[in-house]
Amino acid sequence: MEETHEDGTWNDWLAAHGPRLLLCARQWTRSLSDAEDVVQEAFVRFWRHQRQLPGDPQALLITSVRRAALDLARRESRRVVREDRAAGEVGESAPFFEPAQGDEGDRRRELERALQVLPAEQREVLVLKIWSELTFDEIARTLGISPNTAASRYRYAMAALRKELKPVCRHG
Amino acid sequence: MDDSFDELEVELKALPLRRPSSDLIRRVGHDLTEARRPYQTATNLNSFKWLGWRTLALASVVALVAGLSLFRTGHPSLPAADKAAIVPVPVTNRPAQLQPVAASNVLYDLKDEGPVTVEGAAPSRRVRYRYVDTYTWKSPHRNASLKWSVPRDEIRIVPASLN
Repeated sequence: MEETHEDGTWNDWLAAHGPRLLLCARQWTRSLSDAEDVVQEAFVRFWRHQRQLPGDPQALLITSVRRAALDLARRESRRVVREDRAAGEVGESAPFFEPAQGDEGDRRRELERALQVLPAEQREVLVLKIWSELTFDEIARTLGISPNTAASRYRYAMAALRKELKPVCRHG
Repeated sequence: MDDSFDELEVELKALPLRRPSSDLIRRVGHDLTEARRPYQTATNLNSFKWLGWRTLALASVVALVAGLSLFRTGHPSLPAADKAAIVPVPVTNRPAQLQPVAASNVLYDLKDEGPVTVEGAAPSRRVRYRYVDTYTWKSPHRNASLKWSVPRDEIRIVPASLN
């Protein structure tokens, strides 16, 4: 039986997985609005056709998000190059995390900045490991790399983050 | 894994992720609502476009059957003895009463159903073509004819242009 949005089931799914999917999509898209488009396409595809498939739905959804992001990137590449040339800037830096006030907000922004300056290939592994809670094997399958490469990128990313955040940690 | 990463991992995991916007939730809801509404296919009884064709085809068949039965009952009935004397002709030796004489199809609707992802292939779009196929049979001995129209949907995956 197909569960529909009237009984709130897809809503529950989106509430549970949406933030992680959105964060993953942000790693592979240029802007928040692109990331939302990608999550929309992947989630609807998953809900219509893939949710009955065996396996971890989270990994399936993330793979679907990545494919949608790559499709979007291919479609948009020419237009984006033109727009970048005209605008003289690349991308959009909407925050990954919910905003906070005070010291907590400062620390959160610090972490966010440290994440933003990581190389993209390290950041995507970090995001998949920390927030999507995928294993290195699953990350390797999702990204088309070896598990060892995934693990080493993760270690590089964490080391870079720790180095970047060290002063804050000591005084924080 | 390096133990010294534990504290940082805990701190990162505790960060509240940005939630999907209400606009995204609304769009997903819209798409899923659309998915639940069946597309009006040619074989869908609810398709009003086919009401006329179906009615016409059914009426033609009924008229043909009624005409044939009237034609047969119009002959004077034979005496019982004569009836018994009639040797049934094997079906294979009977001349074909109705022979196909024409077949045609008409494209009456074309709908682009959007992009699709095919594993290991270029980006594609799914296009639904809707036809009505018409077949005509005629009897060479009599002036009877039978026309049969049937709806048909054809889905084609065509490579999408990235331009």
